[in-house]
Amino acid sequence: MSSQQDDLKETDTEARFEFKKEEKSAFQTEKGLTEETVRVISEDKDEPEWMLERRLRALEQFQEMPMPTDWPGQPDLSEVDVDEIIPYIRPDVDVRAGVDDWTELPDNIKDTFDKLGIPEAEKNALSGVGAQYESEVVYQNMQERWEEKGVVFCNMDEAVQEHEELVREHFMTKCVPPSDNKFAALHGAIWSGGSFVYVPENTTVDMPVQAYFRMNSEGMGQFEHTLIIAEEGSEVHYIEGCSAPKYSKFNLHCGGVEVFVDEDAHVQYSTVQNWSKNTYNLNTKRAIAEKGGRMEWISGSMGSKATMLYPSTILKGRGASDNHITIAFAGEGQDIDTGAKVYHNAPDTKSTVESKSIAKDGGRTNYRGLVHIADGAENSSTAVECDALMFDNESTSDTMPYMEINESKVDVAHEATVGKIGDEDIFYLQSRGLDDDDAKQMIVSGFIEPITEELPIEYAVELNRLVELEMEGSLG
Amino acid sequence: MSTQAIESLSEDTVRRIADERDEPEWLLETRLNALAALETADLPDVIQTPGRRWTDLEALDFEALVDPLNQSDATERTAGDDEVVVLPFTEAFDEYGDVIEANFGSVLDPEHNYLTALSVALFTTGTFVYVPEGVDVEDVTVRAEMNSRSLFSQTLVVAEESSSVTILESIESGDSEVDGDRYFSNLVEIAAGENANVQFGSLQNLDDDSYTYSLKRGVTDAYATVDWIESNFGSKLTRSDVETELEGDGSESQIVGTFFGTEDQHFDINARIWHRAEHTTADLVTRGVLDDVARSVYEGVQDVGEDAWNTSSYQRENTLMLSDDAEADASPKLIIHNHDTEASHSATVGQVDAEDLFYLESRTIGPRTARNMLVEGFFVPVLEEIAVDEFRDDVEELVLQRLQ
Repeated sequence: MSSQQDDLKETDTEARFEFKKEEKSAFQTEKGLTEETVRVISEDKDEPEWMLERRLRALEQFQEMPMPTDWPGQPDLSEVDVDEIIPYIRPDVDVRAGVDDWTELPDNIKDTFDKLGIPEAEKNALSGVGAQYESEVVYQNMQERWEEKGVVFCNMDEAVQEHEELVREHFMTKCVPPSDNKFAALHGAIWSGGSFVYVPENTTVDMPVQAYFRMNSEGMGQFEHTLIIAEEGSEVHYIEGCSAPKYSKFNLHCGGVEVFVDEDAHVQYSTVQNWSKNTYNLNTKRAIAEKGGRMEWISGSMGSKATMLYPSTILKGRGASDNHITIAFAGEGQDIDTGAKVYHNAPDTKSTVESKSIAKDGGRTNYRGLVHIADGAENSSTAVECDALMFDNESTSDTMPYMEINESKVDVAHEATVGKIGDEDIFYLQSRGLDDDDAKQMIVSGFIEPITEELPIEYAVELNRLVELEMEGSLG
Repeated sequence: MSTQAIESLSEDTVRRIADERDEPEWLLETRLNALAALETADLPDVIQTPGRRWTDLEALDFEALVDPLNQSDATERTAGDDEVVVLPFTEAFDEYGDVIEANFGSVLDPEHNYLTALSVALFTTGTFVYVPEGVDVEDVTVRAEMNSRSLFSQTLVVAEESSSVTILESIESGDSEVDGDRYFSNLVEIAAGENANVQFGSLQNLDDDSYTYSLKRGVTDAYATVDWIESNFGSKLTRSDVETELEGDGSESQIVGTFFGTEDQHFDINARIWHRAEHTTADLVTRGVLDDVARSVYEGVQDVGEDAWNTSSYQRENTLMLSDDAEADASPKLIIHNHDTEASHSATVGQVDAEDLFYLESRTIGPRTARNMLVEGFFVPVLEEIAVDEFRDDVEELVLQRLQ
């Protein structure tokens, strides 16, 4: 265990994220988005007719919906021109549904993921890993013992073929319909890759399942779809990591995540996002929790130029619960607009949101959250806590919570604080022989600790490392 | 994007109002400009979340509500001291024309939105309060009754350097012959000079056929204080905005709000502070109770500008639900551009604590009385912020009335 930790610490995170590979793709759709593009994507994936129909319907909705511009203080999306991005690039791999053995991968892709440290992590801790390079999942593995129990972890494209009925029932129907927002519609039209996780009744997957997404081409869009179905009494922890090197143009990440938490099931979804600072990160993530189900969202948003991401949970069954933990870190030129959305639609439901944000060097963070308690959701309780830390006067830190309470027998609390790094704290640490930078780093690590301690060790280490890099300003 | 044209309104209407009141030319200009602005002005911003519009102002039928030439009110003004001027505008133009002209519309732009423009174009009542340098008065009261279909009121407070004043205003429905819906519009602007101290209490208790729009804004010079107490009990629908721009170094503002909604009342309560200078302090405290199918909407904004070094800003909002069918929406916002800031906000929604009730009942207090005691107790932290006894008594009495 300890050697693994050391290993991860040793890895030069900076080098892991900065390198880029020469692009060489087998297939590239024309720039821009037309019905033709959608048909080509679908045909190339050999999809059933219903999926093509869903894509085309989503495309229509995307074209009808206006760009969201009327949210108070929202990030500037004027640069996001969907016609400019290449929505679908399949890397140069013969095996469409991914390969099962790491050694079968082409060298350049393998090298990329090696640098990211994925295979080591898999060997040591994780029960399955899916890695997505551009739009396709290139590597997917599930430890045998989980397969025997009927646990499925595969590429979403493969799931459309192999688990058609499940996918057809759950894919962008009840949870995230394409009509939800303009970018969900875009996602519905040109989604590609992603993960499908199915956990049968009363099965506990006691090691995390992990996926890693990476964009390598300039002007790229990544549109992976993740669908998690946790049957009654099951338990699973899914982790996704995202990164992309830097290019001069903008990238767009527009993923979709749908999680179905059945009765008494427990799903934890953790993300550490470190997209390059030209990426627009516009995701739609949502879970539906049935009676007694428990959903946990843990997100660290470090990268991207602009992020608009509000993981949401619909507490549909009595006694369902939700737990959100988020960290946002905005440095120079970054606008991280993130938060949580919880709908209490049944009695005895509970939710907690814990948000920590750090703004530095002119970055902007915003907590934008909504808690809705429906009429009849008796004895529901919700507690939202937002803390923000600011480093300098060029940065901005906003908090915009919305609470809608239609039921009287509830307990609702929202709290937020904003502060600067305390001079006294820094002075104290300096008096103990730390220099200014180390002192600040230590204070920030302490500030986000309540969140890092919820993460599996290798992610906590990575997150801490990323924060350190941000603090050094070396990831400019 | 025009809201809706009111056909009965014309330049002629505005000129008649100004003529009857024998107003100076500049004010007629201001009114006519406001009237012209109606073409393009929007209704006040209302929070909208997916599937839910917090207050629907567009549903108001201004054509039916606005009857500009038949406005009528009975207003009683007391100054409590000769040194302070408390007059209706019409009586103040002769002597204080210059002060009024210099300050009118300087704090609150008449063309801020559709409803402010409408109000400035048509106002027929209101008060001018002028507190000269160094004067200290405590008992300025303005008690108004509304007796017509619509009433537009405009108040201007000018507090000069190192002056201090406490102003209480109240509005109720008089015995009018008018049936059906009514509309009351109340704009208040306060210009607080250096080291001036203004406390402005407002109590709205109109009957339940009324719609109320109220926007109160103050601007502080260095070391000045503007404190607001905003109490809303009446009206079917109330939209209330209380705002302070802290423009001077070391200036302060407190906004205390209370509301108590019963039946199908709807309160849209807004408190906003802009920190624009160094060492400024703000404290926003709002408490409200909702019974029956009443609904409240609250937005609080603490906006700290880039130059607002060493800011302290606090906000609390608490709503107590007495009925299962009541609804409460809240959005306390922080917008921080300067890191040398200490800011916090909190909001809660809950019901009467079951253990507290049980305790009182175990002391042989009946359930109804026990609940009422707890509701009274809920308001105490806010009442304590009200420095003026008379005003506190009024608020307490209205709370008791509602609990009967």
